[in-house]
Order: sequence, then structure tokens, then C-alpha cells
Amino acid sequence: MGALYRLFLRTQATRGRLIGLLLLGALAVVLGYAVGASPSADPVDDGTILMVSYGLALFVPVATLVFASAVLGEPNEDGTLVYLWLKPIARWRIVAAALAATLTVTLPVVVIPMVAAAAATGAGAPLVRGTLAATVLATIAYTGVFTWLGLRVKRALVWGLAYILVWEGFVARAGANPSRLAIRANARSLLVRMSGGPTRLISVSKPTAIAIPIAAAVLGVVLTIRRLIRQDVA
Amino acid sequence: MSDARIIDQGYRPYEGPRRGRAGAVRSLAWHSVLRALGLRRTPWAKILPIASVVIAYLPAAVFVGVAVLVPKRVRDQANVLPTYHGYYGFITAAIVLFVALVGPEVLCSDRRNGMLGLYLASPLDRGSYLFAKVLAVLPVLGLVTLGPPLVLLVGLTVANAGPEGFGGFLLVFVRIGAAGVVISAAYTALSLAASSLTDRRAVASAGIILTLLLTSVATHTLVERAGANEHIMLLDLFFVPFELVQRIYGDPGIRPSIATGQLAAAELAWTAGAAAVLWWRYRKLTITR
Amino acid sequence: MIVVDDVSKWFGDVVAVSDVSFRVGPGVTALLGPNGAGKSTMLRLLCGLTTPSQGTVRVLGADPHGDPALYRRVGLVPQQEAVFGSLSGRQFVRLAAHLQGLAQPDAAAVASLHVVELDPDDGRPMSTYSKGMRQRAKVAQALVHDPEVLMLDEPLEGLDPRQRLHLIELFRRLGSDGRCVVVSSHVLDEVERFGSRVLVMAQGRLAAEGDFHEIRALMDDRPNRLRVRTDHPRELAAALLGADSVVAVRLQDDALFVDTDDVGSFRRAVAPAAVRAGARLLELVPLDDDLESVFRYLVGRG
Repeated sequence: MGALYRLFLRTQATRGRLIGLLLLGALAVVLGYAVGASPSADPVDDGTILMVSYGLALFVPVATLVFASAVLGEPNEDGTLVYLWLKPIARWRIVAAALAATLTVTLPVVVIPMVAAAAATGAGAPLVRGTLAATVLATIAYTGVFTWLGLRVKRALVWGLAYILVWEGFVARAGANPSRLAIRANARSLLVRMSGGPTRLISVSKPTAIAIPIAAAVLGVVLTIRRLIRQDVA
Repeated sequence: MSDARIIDQGYRPYEGPRRGRAGAVRSLAWHSVLRALGLRRTPWAKILPIASVVIAYLPAAVFVGVAVLVPKRVRDQANVLPTYHGYYGFITAAIVLFVALVGPEVLCSDRRNGMLGLYLASPLDRGSYLFAKVLAVLPVLGLVTLGPPLVLLVGLTVANAGPEGFGGFLLVFVRIGAAGVVISAAYTALSLAASSLTDRRAVASAGIILTLLLTSVATHTLVERAGANEHIMLLDLFFVPFELVQRIYGDPGIRPSIATGQLAAAELAWTAGAAAVLWWRYRKLTITR
Repeated sequence: MIVVDDVSKWFGDVVAVSDVSFRVGPGVTALLGPNGAGKSTMLRLLCGLTTPSQGTVRVLGADPHGDPALYRRVGLVPQQEAVFGSLSGRQFVRLAAHLQGLAQPDAAAVASLHVVELDPDDGRPMSTYSKGMRQRAKVAQALVHDPEVLMLDEPLEGLDPRQRLHLIELFRRLGSDGRCVVVSSHVLDEVERFGSRVLVMAQGRLAAEGDFHEIRALMDDRPNRLRVRTDHPRELAAALLGADSVVAVRLQDDALFVDTDDVGSFRRAVAPAAVRAGARLLELVPLDDDLESVFRYLVGRG
């Protein structure tokens, strides 16, 4: 599994992806600094809204989508998956290596700038803790879901963006129930509860906000393994 | 006398009429429209574009239904029907998704699968090729920028909830047209420019969505959270066209301090800038196959 | 070693393989067919990359799709060009060896690369390799674990003539060593050099299997054609027309083109006929006993 993990790391962490996402992360820090440097009546509110509207709504899902959808999706599309599939390795090991590699690359790329941005807002330790927890949880959830998506459809990047835009950005705002099924809404609720930010951004309870993303991650992993076992290759 | 004859089935040159560059532009534009909508292709190719179009029209259908079923007194009290320019607020996600799909589909595929070389071996040159693509993308985007408000207008008018009199109807009709053109022009240029920068459709789509969302979130944060000058909003590719639409309807918009002339200039600058990127990329492009 | 029983495979409404049954043992077997015949689908079925819609496939007694442990004993050179471009050839083959569970993956990779005449010390990424080098790297990764069954989908593509000859000789040797080698190729004159056992597919069906010379002999609806060169063509032609085994004779320049439905009888009859005609036999060559002719007759049927 170590060889697979190293292979996936190598194919994931391409220069273009890293530079693009590091720039997005840098922007988060710049915005955080700008918010922190401005005279604000409620830094906690402003900082929370920045973390939610830029971080959880855009940066975290997009960064995770870029890596997770490609880890098995690219080999599946270009035909190189056959070199891994036609080996005496249990399919779950292949998926485990892929997920481990994705998290190894994605977590630092998103968590560090998000935490730095939260700190830069000057809203205090609760926002930093909330951002850390919500970012890690959201990244794990998105990794499970988008890894499966990458294997399931062609152009997973577009489908993933459609999910982020339409489901999480539009449908999930329609009410409490659709909101529970959106990773963003759950991560946002957790962040706001921990930071003490504007309560209008809370749509689910704390246990739900933790359980649903974990369930999404587990479901994504199970579906990925199942898909890898059953699908036609090359 | 025998009526047998030998029909020469071998190669024969084409002797029919030749439609020239104009015909080539029309053909390419039509083919690009079909491609953008996933028509004459597999069901998978249709799902996302058609879903975007459906989402764009759904609220209009709902509001027309409300106008028909709910009495006017109740409607006015509850203020349930949106304004025609306010309608865009319901379908922004659909517009963004559609913009992100259309440009890459019509431009990236040609470069990736080698068709661009074939097109340029026809009466088309780079300029007319791009003109054909613009001719295709503009009306396709009009499906989601022009169509839904028009459906709303017609539906509400039929349900007796539309503008007062023929003059009122005509005014709204013209405004819808102008608004549609403003949004379509800017996003046509953006979509095609982004698609000229990479051969991969998915990367181009992601780039378009990110550009739109990033400029919006970043400028909003700077203005609303960091107290920056409001004119930074002119860098927001979401804000500029939609705020201009507000002004077309005579609404001061969400940033009345930004003059309409400045908005129009920003819209023009973004559109022209994107068009310049598109032209520059294609002028430089080496066609090897 | 490979048993295919009544296998069909369809994708929606498209039937790619229809009611195919055959057995393949040790040695080299060529899988032939025109484009769209179902060869690649068949090869994928044999490797377990897809499952049959109907029927069973057994490789070394096991279901190739459901049994990853089987892959220790099977090697595949897939048709698609894509490889892990950021890896060097050695890294690519070493990865394969590692995933196969070999004790010394690097040593095995080096040995395998030498077999295909690639330099193990070439550290360039495979994205910079020529098509032929990439193809050889693919062959190396398929051989690194010394599989009992080797499947090759267009393995000679992109190779120069010398490399082709080298690999053909390698596959022949593997076949004669007792391995089961199945090769899918369009290059018929080279496939002939692999050996004479073929599986011919057309329109998803198995058109013929076995030694292609014997297949040709079975084609009694198509007379064999031979060219006879002689110093007295007209006289010999007249003499041959009287032979029972001769179906038709055509005269062209100084050669006779003879159609016969019994090559053996014709060969016995031609010498006495030449003596009677006072003609000297200069050449006697079968024109359609080659693989290309057999292939053309088989896939051109119906």
C-alpha cells in the first residue's frame, strides 16, 4: 500500500494544482488580514462570515474537489487504472491509499491558510478553533464524496462544481432538511457554534453537524470501493 | 435498346454551389449551438446544460403559477412576485453553471480533438472562426439570461399580473432584452476567454466558476468587512453586469454610489479585455494537427 | 489454461461478443479480426477487466474478475498509450513488481527492462519517451512477475522493425516455454511469425480457431490458388485442364494461375502433366495459403 500511496501522492501534487490552490489560500489570508486591519464593530461576526463565505463555501470544497476527483478519476479516464487494478491487491487497499494521499495533500493546503486567515481576522481563539474543526471535517467529508464522484463520472470537476454551486449554494438554502444534506451547511453550523458568530448561519444542531459529514465521508468511501470492484476497467 | 448503364462510383469532385465564408460561419455557429446544448450527443452530454436551463426557468413557472392561483389582493399584500430584474437573484447558480459549461464545450473540444486545424483549412480564418463561436455562444447564453424573464413577463401578462398597458409591456420587454444582452455579452467574452487558456474543458469550467465566485467573495469581503472603497466592486464580475441590469430597470441597485456610467465602463472594459485575451490566444496558437 | 464457454458481452444494445467458446493452452495464440470484431472486448474479458453478460471465462481455473490473487499469474499489455508519465521506465516497472509482491522489485524491474532492451538507468520520465519506448516499458511491466498467462493487445505498435523482430522472438520463446500467450494484432504478416494458431473474430463471433493452414484446408468453398511458372505455359495449361483436381486455369504472361479444390492431388498431378506437355516446371507457389488470405476469406464471409 505504501507504493500506491506514494504513486498517488506523486500524481496528485502537481505543480499547477499546488500553485493555484496555494494562491487561493494566500487570498484567504490576505482577506483575513484586511478584515482584521479594518475598524470593525464585531470582528467575530466579520471573521466568521469571511471563513464561511470564502473558506467553507469556496476554497475548501474546490481545493478538495481538485485533488479528490482526480486521484482515481484521472487514472480511470486515461486508462492507467489498469496498471493498478490488474494487481493482486484488495480493492479497498487501493481506495485507502488514494484517500490517504488525497488527505495528505489537501489538509495542509486548506487547513493552514484557513487557520491563518482566521487568526488574521483578530476574532480570537474560538474562531480559529472553529475554523480548524470545520475545515478538517469538511475536507474529510468532501474527500470521501469527491473521490467516489471522480470514479463514477467523466468530468468530475464540472459535476463537483455543479454540486457545490447548485446543491450546496442553492437547493440547500431552501430549508432545514435539504440543509442537513449539505456538507457546507453542517460545517458552517459547527464553525459558527464554536466561534460564537451570527446565529442566523446555524441551520443544524452540533451533533448533526459532526455526524452528517462523517457519514458522507464513510458513504463516499464505501461507494468508491464498491465501484472499483464492480466497474469495467480500461 | 438496353437501359443498362455503368455508374462511376469512384471519386468525383463537388460541382454544387459553394457558400463561402458566410456559409462556413453559419454552419460552424449552428454546430456549436448543438454541441453546447449536448444535442445529437449522448444523454450524459445533455444533463448538465439542460439541468441549468430547467433550473433557470423553474422559478418563472412557479411565479406564473402563483399569479394564476393566488388572488391579486393576497399577492400584493405578501409581495410574492419578484421584479423582472430581481428574478436573476433566483437563477444566479444556473447562469454561472451554464456560462461555465458553454464556452469550454465549443472551444476546448476543437483544440483537443484536432478539429481546429480542419476548420482553418476551410474558408474560415481565425477571426471568422471566433466570430462563429461568438455567434453561437451569445444566443445560447440568452437561453438563461433572456428567456426566463421573458417567460415571466408573458406568463404574468397572460395571468393579468403583468405591466400596465401595451406601453408598459413594451418597456419591460425592451429592458429584458437590454439586460439579457448586457449579461450575455460579458459572460460570452469571459467564457470564451477562459476556454482559450486551456485545452481541458473541466479545467476551463472550473476556472470560470472560480473567477466569478472569487472576484465576488473577495470584493464583498474587502468592502463589507474590511471597509474598502466601494468602487472595488467594479472588479466583481458578478456585481458589474447584474448591477447594470438594475440600472436598466431604473433601480438604484445595491451600490447607488457607483455611477451607472462607471458600471457601463467597467462592463465594457471586462468584455473588451476578455475578447482581447481570446483574440491574442488564438492569434498566437500554432495549429499542428 | 484459458476456457471460454458461451460468452456474450453487450453494452446496452450493442453486442460486442456473441456466443464465443474456445480453449487456449500453452503456446502463442493470435486473436485476429477487423476493427469492431470484438477482439479488445474479448481480451478484456480474459483479463477480468469486464465481466461477461452471459457465459463463463476461466483463466487458470479461476474467474479473472472476481479473483485478484489470479493477477500474480497473469500479465497484460493494454492497448491504450497512457502510462504514468511522471515515472521513469524503471520506476514504472518497479512499481508493478512491488504491487505484484516480488521480494526484490528493483532487481526484477532491471531484468525485465533488459529483456525489452530498455536502459534501466535512463532516469527520464516516460512522458518524454518515444512511442516505441513506452510500448516496451508496458511489455516490461507485464513480464516482470514472470506470469503464466500473458495477454498482449497490439504489442508491436510504435516499434521499429528490429524491435518488432526482437519482441516477436521473445513472445515465441515465452510460448515455447509453456506459457500461454494471447496476442491481438492487426499486423498479419508479423502475427504469422508468432506461430500458426489463431482465433479469428468477426462481428463479435468466433469465425475460426486453430492452425491457419488447417483452417485454409477446411475452406472447401474456396479453391486454393497456385501460381505455376513454366517454359511452355499453353501446353501445360491444356494438359492440366484434364486433371480432376483442377477447377480453373488462367494464363497470364508466362505464368499459369490454377484454382484447385485439392492441393494434394494437384501437386501429384502437375509433374506428370508437365512431362506430357514437354514443359519444364520453374516455380509452383500457393498464393492464398497465407494468414492474410485466410483472414480475408473468413471475415469477408456473409
